[in-house]
Amino acid sequence: MPTLAPPPPETRVGYDLDAVRAKFPAGSITTQEGAPWPTWIVRREILVDLARELRDNPATRLDLFVDLFGVDYPDRAERFEVVYNLYSLPFHARLFLKVAVREDDAVVPSLVKIWKGVDWFERELYDMFGLHVEGHPHLRRILCHEGFQGHPLRKDYDAARRWILTEDKIYKPHFDLPDGEDDLFERMTINIGPSHPAMHGTFRLMAVLDGETIIASDIEIGYLHRCFEKMAETHNWQQVIPYTDRLNYCSAFINNVGYCKTVEKMLGVEAPPKAVWARTILSEFSRIMDHCVCNGTTLVDAGALTNFWYMFQIREEIYGLLESVCGARLTVSACRIGGLIQNLPPDFEARCRTLLTMIPPFIKDVEDLVDKNRIWLDRSVGIASITGAEAVNWGWTGPCLRASGVAYDVRKAYPYDLYDTVEWEVPVLYGGDVYDRYRIRMLEIRQSLSIIRQLLDRGMPEGPHIVDDPHVALPSKDACYNQMEAMIYHFKLIMDGIQVPAGEAYTMVEGANGELGFYAISDGTGKPYRLHCRPPCFPIFSTFPQLINGGSLSDSIVSLGGLNVIAGELER
Amino acid sequence: MNKMFGESWVTTTFETLEDWAQRNSFWPFPFGTACCAIEFMGTVSSHYDVSRFGSEVVRFSPRQSDVLLVAGTINDKMAPVLKKIYDQMAEPRWVISMGACACSGGFYRSYHVMQGIDEIIPVDVYVPGCPPTPEGLIYGILQLKEKVVRDRKKLAARSAQGRPEKETTGAHAGSATA
Amino acid sequence: MSQPIAQTTTPVAGPHPTETRPYRQSLYEKSYLPLLGGMLVTIRHFFKNIFGLNKSYTIEYPEERRDYSHRFRGHHILTTRPDGSVRCVACFLCAQNCPAECIHIEAGEHPDVNIEKYPVVYEIDMLRCVFCGYCVDACPEEAIIMSNNYDMAYFTRDQSIVGKSDLMKPYTFDENLLGYRPSFPEEDVKRAQMRRGAFDLVAAAKQAQANGG
Repeated sequence: MPTLAPPPPETRVGYDLDAVRAKFPAGSITTQEGAPWPTWIVRREILVDLARELRDNPATRLDLFVDLFGVDYPDRAERFEVVYNLYSLPFHARLFLKVAVREDDAVVPSLVKIWKGVDWFERELYDMFGLHVEGHPHLRRILCHEGFQGHPLRKDYDAARRWILTEDKIYKPHFDLPDGEDDLFERMTINIGPSHPAMHGTFRLMAVLDGETIIASDIEIGYLHRCFEKMAETHNWQQVIPYTDRLNYCSAFINNVGYCKTVEKMLGVEAPPKAVWARTILSEFSRIMDHCVCNGTTLVDAGALTNFWYMFQIREEIYGLLESVCGARLTVSACRIGGLIQNLPPDFEARCRTLLTMIPPFIKDVEDLVDKNRIWLDRSVGIASITGAEAVNWGWTGPCLRASGVAYDVRKAYPYDLYDTVEWEVPVLYGGDVYDRYRIRMLEIRQSLSIIRQLLDRGMPEGPHIVDDPHVALPSKDACYNQMEAMIYHFKLIMDGIQVPAGEAYTMVEGANGELGFYAISDGTGKPYRLHCRPPCFPIFSTFPQLINGGSLSDSIVSLGGLNVIAGELER
Repeated sequence: MNKMFGESWVTTTFETLEDWAQRNSFWPFPFGTACCAIEFMGTVSSHYDVSRFGSEVVRFSPRQSDVLLVAGTINDKMAPVLKKIYDQMAEPRWVISMGACACSGGFYRSYHVMQGIDEIIPVDVYVPGCPPTPEGLIYGILQLKEKVVRDRKKLAARSAQGRPEKETTGAHAGSATA
Repeated sequence: MSQPIAQTTTPVAGPHPTETRPYRQSLYEKSYLPLLGGMLVTIRHFFKNIFGLNKSYTIEYPEERRDYSHRFRGHHILTTRPDGSVRCVACFLCAQNCPAECIHIEAGEHPDVNIEKYPVVYEIDMLRCVFCGYCVDACPEEAIIMSNNYDMAYFTRDQSIVGKSDLMKPYTFDENLLGYRPSFPEEDVKRAQMRRGAFDLVAAAKQAQANGG
């Protein structure tokens, strides 16, 4: 039986930022007033020392590196701003660091030696903004292709300017061979993907093999980079919702919720109880859906096809529910800022209850098939294992982190919607391997079912499905046809978009594979000035070479599935 | 065959048989990258069961497949890969472009997304939707089937008129006749 | 990027587990016996399917269609007035609200003085469209709605740009074929009756056909 550990403590006893601050010269750290979260504006020179101190000082212990992104302000003297997002698991506290750099001196120091998970984020910073990251071991483009010129997230880059990738510029792998392996003589170097089923269609793995053992590997991503963040800057706030669907397309609804919550926070509106209730239920159904496709494909990668049919059956049934709410199966766009797309259908509760009875037999079938199956156990136990401490250092969140023994779940740490009003537990396992990542998803499906059941028993709240504020939500069609005022608001909202006041917000939800955060910056025009999505699988997948090095090639295939890397979210 | 029997009853019957077999068993190469690939999985799983149309043999080798099913966004980084795979496929070959992104770039009018795969490879059937429902995809496959039959008939009519042409099937015939 | 096998583990702060405790197989599991349990599951499903005890999940499309709800976001419809003319007044709100910018409208003067404008050209690029339903949300006239129709496939890019004639094809004759459209859940009975007069799409379409439209 797995141990069900308590959630992280809600206390912050002993958490003391001033203890760290006192160690650095006065004036090098300023607190940003009015920021949504505790934010320090930091001088670049002290960044590395400060980061190390924040991680190791027993009074702060900001051990989880969550996020890193840049912002471009062409009008400012210090044009670029780099934002670091840190989280302390022991103290359950969050801190943002901001570093401003000038365009003619666009260099930031690398933090790779402190948090390994920062590696890819810094490469993305270089790719998107052209900031040089000093001390980074292999700084090169990550999302855009090698033939690309310019840095697309700069404000002066035209959103539709494309570059063609020619054959000769395609990335040639680079291997850091272990000691004693000086060349590739008598070694087999193979390339898998990007269009290979084992790499789920969009990743490229290059491995150096000794017999069947991988001795060094390199991965390349960016084959599904769709420019979500640039596209968000060219559309108004409401129009971004369909784009968020296509981040993690296996559980599109959770993305909708995360984005809408961020904008609602900036607007200062709250979704009505009915919308919150439905959002919680549908989020949990989406989580089940996502875990199903993840476990199903993992097992397919290991050769167990039958489970895939059973798991997909669950998905199909949940598609039916989502389709009855919003009209689409996969890319739902079911949330609107301030509520839901439409009122819930009359048979919503009945459908949910049917699903509650329908899902458990399928789960049980799958568990009967593989849980104790020695073939599956031999393929998965102890494969690609990572300790909790390492996983935290790499910036993991979500089920994969919980499979390594660290009980961090946004739904418990920062309860949103109705998660603090229902009783549920955070399942934790300690294997940190493929098997425990599979098991933890099965356990989470059960927890999700329990949450849904409790909410259904509570009954659907009365009232509207969307906030009654003509500056945020479109007036009902009924009002639109009959009242001049509503008609004017309708026209204004469509033509100008929602006017979000200038400011910043960061909101996170527990996505199906970890902390899914949206950092939005508004400058008061109708469009987002900058919208950054914190992709949970980005740091997870950056660990992949370390996970598979030393294992056999066939194990690397199984370990990819268990990480639940969704390309749309990884590469945005 | 032609050498052995000339234009006789044997060859025409054999050709009919070949046609029949070919159009009823498209083996797809699912070039799935994004959301559409999930719907493709839905199409092959038990609810829609594309094997009713003979397309369940999903081949991940371009040499063994008849239909290149491009499901999902193709960006500039992926473009050379797609081109290479298309070039490796044996004739006759067809291309189904599934979903808005593959057909036209969809709502990603952006710096890294290809505005439709027909920039680099010819497409026989475009299936709109974002993503299309599995039914939509099956409808697309059925349309392709009809198209193959139609093209064959045209080809046969042309050669009967004594204007034998180099046999071009699939995409090339399609772009000429559609 | 690649890392060598010999990892130099950085010391990590925090009370997180520094070693893994993988699952231990019991003797029973090592004996391969549980495979029989898994076998039973598939055998059970096999016989249930053979003897028709399980309901068959497969939908025999195209003969049989999945029961989609009345919110399905499929092919668009331009609705008509009872006289058969298009209801759209070319206000450009749908084109403005479309994230894919796939709607192209050219407005023209309407001969009827009561109606200011009408679309001379109304085109939707179906291959660009992402079926998000934002045009339906934006329309103040209920002139564009969506149908339940998902049978779409095109052979060329030109075919996919559908104009007024395709969009006004009479999907509206059958209420069951209507898809995503504005809902009026809160309206009272009187309003509903008023609305039915003005906005009953099915009746209007039938009327239009009877008028020879």
